[in-house]
Amino acid sequence: MTTETSNGHAEEPRVILSAEELRKSYGAHQALKNLSFTLRAGRVLGFLGPNGAGKTTSIRILTTILPPSSGHFVVDGVTSDHPAQIRRRIGVLPEGLGFPRQLTGARYLSYYGQLFGSSSHDARSTAEALLQEVGLQNRGHSPIGSYSHGMRQRLGIARALVNDPAVLFFDEPTLGLDPRGQRELLTMVQGIARDRGKGVVLSSHLLAEIEGVCDDVVIMNAGEVVARGTVAEVIGQASHRSGVALRVRVPVGEVPAACGLIATLPSVRATTPDDSTGWIGVELRQLNGTAAADPRLVNTMLESLIRADVPVLGLDAGSGRLEDVFLQLTAEAIR
Amino acid sequence: MTAGTVAAPLAPARRSAAPVWWLVLRQELTELWMGGRVLTYLVLYSLLMSLTAFLLATNTELNLLPLRQNIVVAVTSALTFGLFIGLAIGAESISGERERATLEPLLLTPCSPRQVVAGKFLSALSAWPGAMLLTLPYLVVLAQGHTVLGSALVWGGVVGTLLAAMFVGFSLIVSIWSESSRVSLFICLLAYAASLIPAQLPTEFLRSPAGVVLTLIDPVESASTYLDRTIGSGQPLSQAWPFLASPVAATLLTLAVLFGWAAPRLRLMARA
Repeated sequence: MTTETSNGHAEEPRVILSAEELRKSYGAHQALKNLSFTLRAGRVLGFLGPNGAGKTTSIRILTTILPPSSGHFVVDGVTSDHPAQIRRRIGVLPEGLGFPRQLTGARYLSYYGQLFGSSSHDARSTAEALLQEVGLQNRGHSPIGSYSHGMRQRLGIARALVNDPAVLFFDEPTLGLDPRGQRELLTMVQGIARDRGKGVVLSSHLLAEIEGVCDDVVIMNAGEVVARGTVAEVIGQASHRSGVALRVRVPVGEVPAACGLIATLPSVRATTPDDSTGWIGVELRQLNGTAAADPRLVNTMLESLIRADVPVLGLDAGSGRLEDVFLQLTAEAIR
Repeated sequence: MTAGTVAAPLAPARRSAAPVWWLVLRQELTELWMGGRVLTYLVLYSLLMSLTAFLLATNTELNLLPLRQNIVVAVTSALTFGLFIGLAIGAESISGERERATLEPLLLTPCSPRQVVAGKFLSALSAWPGAMLLTLPYLVVLAQGHTVLGSALVWGGVVGTLLAAMFVGFSLIVSIWSESSRVSLFICLLAYAASLIPAQLPTEFLRSPAGVVLTLIDPVESASTYLDRTIGSGQPLSQAWPFLASPVAATLLTLAVLFGWAAPRLRLMARA
């Protein structure tokens, strides 16, 4: 989301959340080391990392639930030494959020609206509007105990929006949802950033889905940031580091034969087979300082595989996927 | 509008007149009373009080007690059973929210933790007036029109409210520092049982100087002695007041610790 200035230049949206060298230690154990990043209004930032990477710790620090051991952050112009002021400017859907079962969705939202300072009347009308927004208008007056998991997650999103926050944090919001529920929820999250101009921090394990929703990513491992930037930048950095320019998938039994065929091609420097999945990474010789795949090379490679009667099950001729980058970076960090 | 689309930003809300403690209290009262938890406790309470009244009326040994002493036994029984309800509710109030993962959204609001705890404290205390109300018919029947009913209601109410506030306050402190409601309830029950131990000591010991000091220090035993003197022996406040000092001091101390020290330290994780 960019705005146009009077002289016609596109202007970057303002930074709505910035973190500077955040650290968290529990005794000798460092749960978070040097987390720094910025988030602009209208953008979705993906927090990725394996279990125990420090994602939830980071979110809890940024939402003032945990104090950092050192470092600071700023939310919508408010510094981290004013936690109550920050809580007025954020909305949070924590991982595994619980709900009072007897309360209705409308009453629940109205209660939280009042806790954020709305009058009873305003809180009720905000609750009705939010229920409409998240598609729960027909179930708003039923007890939450009768809601499905997906409906509770949507109610949790509505609760996060009750104070009209500047920044929203969603910690594993798609956990336990079916594919349709995951898609709907992520579309909703994207809409919150795009249409409302909010900054959104999204933590998830669904890398393929995240790739489609997020503008920026922070990949964490063992409390450390291992990659940071726009999705395209992070994928590009990782591809450049590995040298893998394209990947082809063949049946597992055909991997050695396929590797042999591909390795004979003139611009191929090396192949990296994955015997468990059948994917073969193809590294190219540096041409003009780049290792990008020449479209003609893809044709040549496919031709040689087809001639040798090796079935081609998949082809990734782009610069890679976020999932590969994630696996590569977190594996490197573990090594 | 369907799920997956988001409307334009809502207008900023104007300030509410309702204080946070009132909002939390109303919410908690709805959950406790409409959810049926307090009612379950009160049904059990009624059964125990019925059993006590039946024994007082029919047991040949207890039947020999003077009427005033019968009333004292009924009032102390009401305290013993009634205080347990507040203790059990308070013990579960914070740690239970931790277990159900409903504490985090509350901590994510800009509300003062002291006000949140105040709302929870008052809601846990709400069971005591209910128990007192249920005790009334038993006392009326046992008093048989005697004027002792008035002092039993006044001093039973005053002393009971003091002890209820102390036990609820204590259970909330424990709950704030407990990760699970089982741990919290166990510690509270242990403290509750310990407070009843002096009543089981031999009468000779309780009449010795050490026994008198113990009675004066232990708020529960002291309160029981106070009720015995005012209701059972008809002593005026001017004579029996030393036995009221301990419950008053213990209650004030507990509330000072709860609101001055424990409540501002309310965290998502008990030992974070």
